[in-house]
Amino acid sequence: MIFTVKGVNAVVDGRHVLRDVNLEIGEREIHVLFGPNGSGKSSLVMTIIGHPSYKIISGKIFFKGIDITDKPIEERINLGIGVAFQNPPKIHGVRLKELLNVIANNKAKNPKMVEYLEKLKIPNDILSRSLNVGFSGGEIKKTEILQVLAADPEFIILDEPDSGVDVENLEIIGRALSEALINKSALIITHHGHILKYLKPTKSHVMINGTIVCEGDPEQMFEQIMKKGYGWCERCISFRP
Amino acid sequence: MMFLDKEEIEKALNKPAAYGPDVDISQYGMESFGQSNLDETIVRESYNVGVDLSRRDQLNTYLQIDHDVVFKTIQKKFEEDIELMSLTEALEKYEWVRDIYWKLKSPYEDKYTAFVAKNEKSGYFLRILEGRKIHLPIQACFFMYSPSLVQSIHNIIVAEEGSEANVITGCTNYSKIANGLHIGVTEIYVKNNAKLNYTMIHRWGRGLHVRPRTGIILENGAKLLYNYVVIGEVGSLQSYPHAIVEGKNARLSMNNILYVVGESNMDLGGEVNVKDAGSGIELVTNAVASGRTKLMNRGAIISEAPKVKGHISCRALMLSNEAEVSAIPVLVSRNMESELTHEAAIGKIAEEQLFYLRARGLRREEAESILIRGFLDISMMELPKHIEKTVEKVIELAMKGF
Repeated sequence: MIFTVKGVNAVVDGRHVLRDVNLEIGEREIHVLFGPNGSGKSSLVMTIIGHPSYKIISGKIFFKGIDITDKPIEERINLGIGVAFQNPPKIHGVRLKELLNVIANNKAKNPKMVEYLEKLKIPNDILSRSLNVGFSGGEIKKTEILQVLAADPEFIILDEPDSGVDVENLEIIGRALSEALINKSALIITHHGHILKYLKPTKSHVMINGTIVCEGDPEQMFEQIMKKGYGWCERCISFRP
Repeated sequence: MMFLDKEEIEKALNKPAAYGPDVDISQYGMESFGQSNLDETIVRESYNVGVDLSRRDQLNTYLQIDHDVVFKTIQKKFEEDIELMSLTEALEKYEWVRDIYWKLKSPYEDKYTAFVAKNEKSGYFLRILEGRKIHLPIQACFFMYSPSLVQSIHNIIVAEEGSEANVITGCTNYSKIANGLHIGVTEIYVKNNAKLNYTMIHRWGRGLHVRPRTGIILENGAKLLYNYVVIGEVGSLQSYPHAIVEGKNARLSMNNILYVVGESNMDLGGEVNVKDAGSGIELVTNAVASGRTKLMNRGAIISEAPKVKGHISCRALMLSNEAEVSAIPVLVSRNMESELTHEAAIGKIAEEQLFYLRARGLRREEAESILIRGFLDISMMELPKHIEKTVEKVIELAMKGF
């Protein structure tokens, strides 16, 4: 396993947001995490990365066999984890170009950057604009992915790469990701599942109320969710012993 | 000619300024060591305030050390476009200069203006002739070399109708001098449809006191970007430029970028009186305050005409609990068709931004320094590319030093 979450419970502002979460992702596996809004999917991402507001009260997180539960944020990242956030903050005065340079320097120059810029169809002017300031939904998703790819991580977490994106941009993002994820491990969080049109995940999971309640074949699971909605998942687990 | 009433000047010599700590001018003298050689230190330290003296032969340059004009050159191809001389020369050369002299700033305003009126030594007269567009920067440097000096300066800038120019003025002191007082009176005339980008970069030391006194007038369609960058520690600095927008459809943007360290006491602001319709006014301050600094930011827009848009913005990043930052925006509207707004935000580095950058693999200190640097963004100064690069370099160099 390249990535393991073992019995994690986490709280934020006294709210219990993750309950006994278990997740195992093998090398070169792409996993999908489904779940209704507010089910704890983004909390899981924040906890994995080590956001200071998310406190782990029990359980452990391992990456490449290393216990990262208490490691500083940047150490986790520099071990080879990359994350594209759902709602990144606006940062006035810090240019995307500048940040990409820092990321690339930390990781020794990534020769593929120009290629990614083209594949993601990111116009040059965005590079010299303040981070996420006045970016469209599609631009935010694309530049998040670009920043992740700049560091060339082994394990990539994408939090809702398909939300708030129009059809054309969804296709661009989907195609770029399908190439970029070759030989990588990934955890893709999606509420609507639109991105699955372009990716072939290995396995999928459903999160309800802070717990991963179900896992299975991504295609089947997605079909079922599309047909019956997450309400069906909630009813299903209520029948469990 | 403006009649300078000697008695009034004498009276004003004891008049403290409306804002900022009072400086006892008698502690400083006019005596200069008469340094007029361009030694390496002066070249290097001028570079820290954006003035490249190593290229003084290729650029339009004015250099004053203490009271002496050491270097002054206009490139051949601009000889028909710009006039650059000491104000003393200009007063001798043109009778009309006497009519605009002390017109935008009263010599009786306070002890500092009165001191300049009484002891006027030097400063430049810069005139961009009608319709001339000069893209090469005009650089001026005021260097304080002698200890315990009061550098008393009077500058006049006239951007004639339809002209365009970029002026960068750097003021600094020889880093080895422990104290001094810099008083600079500047009167800026931006005539009909002229565009002027005026950028000042100041870098001082702990024992230096700085009192710029600026008066500005804008005519119809005139555009002025008045940019002020102050970096590092200063004993005290107080400035409250006063602008009158007399014409229609003018644009005035006053931008302060401040990186205040040590025990600096800074009181900075600006007041704009809008007399006619259709103008856009912006007063922007982005400041980083650390150490035991005290920073007061004042801004006032007074609109008496319709279709005026005015906005005051003050953003300050505090890096220390011993620092104090205040913001006092004032908006006065005397016309219901004018739209005036303000915003102020004072706080520490945003945790969410810090987390975000660390989640890109940046160390905490690395992330903090990028965020601080971002706070001192100069894009609103609308500088031409090469000046922008210079100013960015100046800020970066300075930040490395603190």
